[in-house]
Amino acid sequence: MDPAMLDGFPEEDKAKMMGMIEAMQTRDSLKMYNNLVERCFSTCVQSFRRKTLEKDEERCVSKCCEKFLKHSARTSVRFAELNAQSMQQMGGPPQ
Amino acid sequence: MTPEQRDAAFAMAGQEMEYRVELFNKLVGACYEKCIDKKFKDGELNVGENSCVDRCAAKYWESVAIVGQMLGAQGNAPS
Repeated sequence: MDPAMLDGFPEEDKAKMMGMIEAMQTRDSLKMYNNLVERCFSTCVQSFRRKTLEKDEERCVSKCCEKFLKHSARTSVRFAELNAQSMQQMGGPPQ
Repeated sequence: MTPEQRDAAFAMAGQEMEYRVELFNKLVGACYEKCIDKKFKDGELNVGENSCVDRCAAKYWESVAIVGQMLGAQGNAPS
């Protein structure tokens, strides 16, 4: 979130808003962590013959994680673009 | 603005942000399932995946608009 969007609001409101955003970000990153583990574990780990990850499972989990993060970063760029577009169409605040 | 109005405005802004975050997470999840090859030979997105992700995001967005309009027409749009 762009803090410049909050320009023109009273300091008190700005601080409250930033607090809300921060709480949301913390919660979201924890949720993301759990989801990513679940996602990559489910796709990569199939066998249970030993109590450690097989070599290829280990590699799969790390590639899965790397790839998901890159996918997520790219999507977030597109998301921001689409968001900005629809804001403009609604005649919302100029970015 | 009265304190009540301010609280209401903050609550609405909070809901709006929650909605955006959720929308983003769903978009990431949906396009990951549609576009990403799950063999994980490589940690990079290949060319095909990249363009799939871009198109997927745009189409997801269009779908959001359509569903929003239909819900709005029925009069139960999230205000």
